[in-house]
Amino acid sequence: MNEQKTPLIRLAKRDDMDPKRVWAIRGASFLVAILIGAIIFMVMGHNPFSAYGTIINGALGKKTAIRQTVKNAIPLLGTALAIAPCFKMRFWNIGAEGQITAGAVAASYFALFWADKLPAPVLLVVMAVAAAIAGGLWGLIPAFFKAKWNTNETLFTLMMNYIIIGVVKWLQGGPWEGRPGSQIIPQFEKSACLPKVFGVHCGWIIVLVLTVLMYIYMSKTKQGYEIAVIGESLNTARYAGMNVGRIIMRTMFISGGISGLVGFVVASGADNTLHAGVAAGVGFTAITVAWLAQLNPFAMIGISGLLAVLQKGATTLQTRMEVPASISEIITGIFLFCMLGCEFFINYQMIFRHKENKEAKA
Amino acid sequence: MKKFLALLLSMAMVLSLAACGGEDKPAPEGPDQGTEDTEAKTVKVGLICIGDENDQGYTYNFIRGKEAATEALEAKGIHVEWVPKFNVGEDSTCEDANVELAEEGCDLIINNSFGFEPHMLKVAPDYEDIQFVACTNQASWQDDLPNTHNAFANIYEGRYVAGVAAGMKLQELIENGTIKPEEAMIGYVGAYSFAEVISGFTAYYLGAKSVCPSVTMKVKFVGSWSNPTEESNAASALADMGCKIISQHSDNTTPATMAQSKGAFHTGYNNDMSGVAPEASIIGTRIDWAPYFEYIIEAVANGEEFDQDWCHGLDEGAVAMTPLNEKIAAPGTAEKLAEVEKAIVDGELKVFDTKTFTVEGKELTNAFALDTDGDFTPDSEEAVFDGAFHESYHQSAPYFTLKIDGIEWLNSAF
Repeated sequence: MNEQKTPLIRLAKRDDMDPKRVWAIRGASFLVAILIGAIIFMVMGHNPFSAYGTIINGALGKKTAIRQTVKNAIPLLGTALAIAPCFKMRFWNIGAEGQITAGAVAASYFALFWADKLPAPVLLVVMAVAAAIAGGLWGLIPAFFKAKWNTNETLFTLMMNYIIIGVVKWLQGGPWEGRPGSQIIPQFEKSACLPKVFGVHCGWIIVLVLTVLMYIYMSKTKQGYEIAVIGESLNTARYAGMNVGRIIMRTMFISGGISGLVGFVVASGADNTLHAGVAAGVGFTAITVAWLAQLNPFAMIGISGLLAVLQKGATTLQTRMEVPASISEIITGIFLFCMLGCEFFINYQMIFRHKENKEAKA
Repeated sequence: MKKFLALLLSMAMVLSLAACGGEDKPAPEGPDQGTEDTEAKTVKVGLICIGDENDQGYTYNFIRGKEAATEALEAKGIHVEWVPKFNVGEDSTCEDANVELAEEGCDLIINNSFGFEPHMLKVAPDYEDIQFVACTNQASWQDDLPNTHNAFANIYEGRYVAGVAAGMKLQELIENGTIKPEEAMIGYVGAYSFAEVISGFTAYYLGAKSVCPSVTMKVKFVGSWSNPTEESNAASALADMGCKIISQHSDNTTPATMAQSKGAFHTGYNNDMSGVAPEASIIGTRIDWAPYFEYIIEAVANGEEFDQDWCHGLDEGAVAMTPLNEKIAAPGTAEKLAEVEKAIVDGELKVFDTKTFTVEGKELTNAFALDTDGDFTPDSEEAVFDGAFHESYHQSAPYFTLKIDGIEWLNSAF
């Protein structure tokens, strides 16, 4: 009777796993990802060893390749840092995409219309500040509604993305368009473009500094502590006398601000212009980066680096072995799936029915 | 036991990583060296495309050109090794694609979309020995970089010819008594209200007018290069206004199918559309990139320079007509088109002959071609001389933006 009702597999939460085993599971999942990827390459008729070799060589084999890889990693790292405090607070901000775009719009406004009025360093600072404020405000709107009326932040932040992307499309074809009909906003003046350091725009320095700052903010400050408490238990936070609404709004402003700054870095440093795809899905991929890094800022450097290597390596793979470009997305997807999936086995244990019966008999 | 298993797995992982690492040297050389031929000249050509062959329009047309050029060059003893990159965005990924192809050792890199040029121009100065081409754009005449090039085709010539076919059909309907002369109306679905499109539909109209003097035209812009629904709606609206012929400068076949369902006739672009609308689509015109590809790749193979700004039409085969749908075309169309094509190639017929059209009731006597100060209004180089407006003469990209009498703009879209 009882036996029939017991499902074949039951799940139980566990949080006492030996760190060594945790890392062994993570390593194994990485291996599984490599193996599945290898099978896909073989199915497509390519030698998996040379395919992976091409990925690594294509991403890190040459100076120019490394530069492009770093360039790809910059927005990923920056945005992962931005959403980390929200996720710590269990505020599901999936609107980084829009906050990046909002920042890029504000930065572009100054790049397009103030380039001849301000000296280069001042212009860049103005662009950065404007971008941070714009991104912050774009993040503040859903936070305000959440704090005031407890609206669903997941849907709200997501919808905000489409609004700002629509605004950019309008700007592209309307008031900011360059050659009529081109749907393209002109390239920025030199003074509005981030200077290069070691061949890559200096956004990499900005995000590395942000990494340290975010680490300090999250683990050494009172505000960081408040965020952690709210994430653990809203009631505890309230009982401790924290103004939860205020903290949510403040955190979202900071988060949106950093995303906005990333928007500035991408528009000014990488694209030298504004277009509707400025965020290029980074706002979503960064969620994975932040989650995989378990919201640890320093771990995010490694994860975003790994994704950037996959991204760049896959384009080289396409160039050299003529595999379709979408294969890169498949491979990246497999890696993310395995790496995120393994967390499940770390956090839960599976209990099989027959095993339990044996235990019961014993 | 489990610990051991985990250890084993992680060992295997490290080993497999090492194996991958060890492989990465021979990998990139494999495809490169295999094609290194001592006899034939090999040219490595990068092709950056905004779409892929599935668009059955813009990029597909480049791929057809690529394949035809490869065959033609092979016959001349030149082997082309193509490195295509598809679905590249008009942003910094385009810059990356150019860098990557340059680093892969391409001798020539072709960017197929208008919006690629600004990103290509960031890469070109770093690789002086590599030739960069931005199709359909126009910076090369003023960017001071000898290794950058532009190319376009005089597609307006093909549109003129298609216009003749359309005009003959209208004239046939008038002579049959099916429509009155003042009902001879063409509806044109345009993407955006800028030079490339304006130049195209004006040529089309003039072609129709040359054989059907009473023709008028209405133009509706959809504000997108590829929006099947909008294009279909525009065609439908135009047919409802009484247009007997629908033509288009947009990427989909929906105007053709809509024309057919409304009982109108149609001429197409990019592709032969008589397959999807056999009772409506009379003829189409498309750019054929093969002659240009052949020309530049041969030049690179022989170490010669090639034009920085190339533009040809029917003369070099850079513009081609799709097969005439004899079943529905007016009698004698094939002969007439052959005659018109020959006249264009010989230079006897000028498409924008200023005697054939008026602007605000007056004959056109002057119009500028180029914009030198960046305000997007032409301010230099006279385009009107020898009794015609010379399109694509001062630069390959079109610059005809005049509104001539007889064509009514129903809207505009930038």
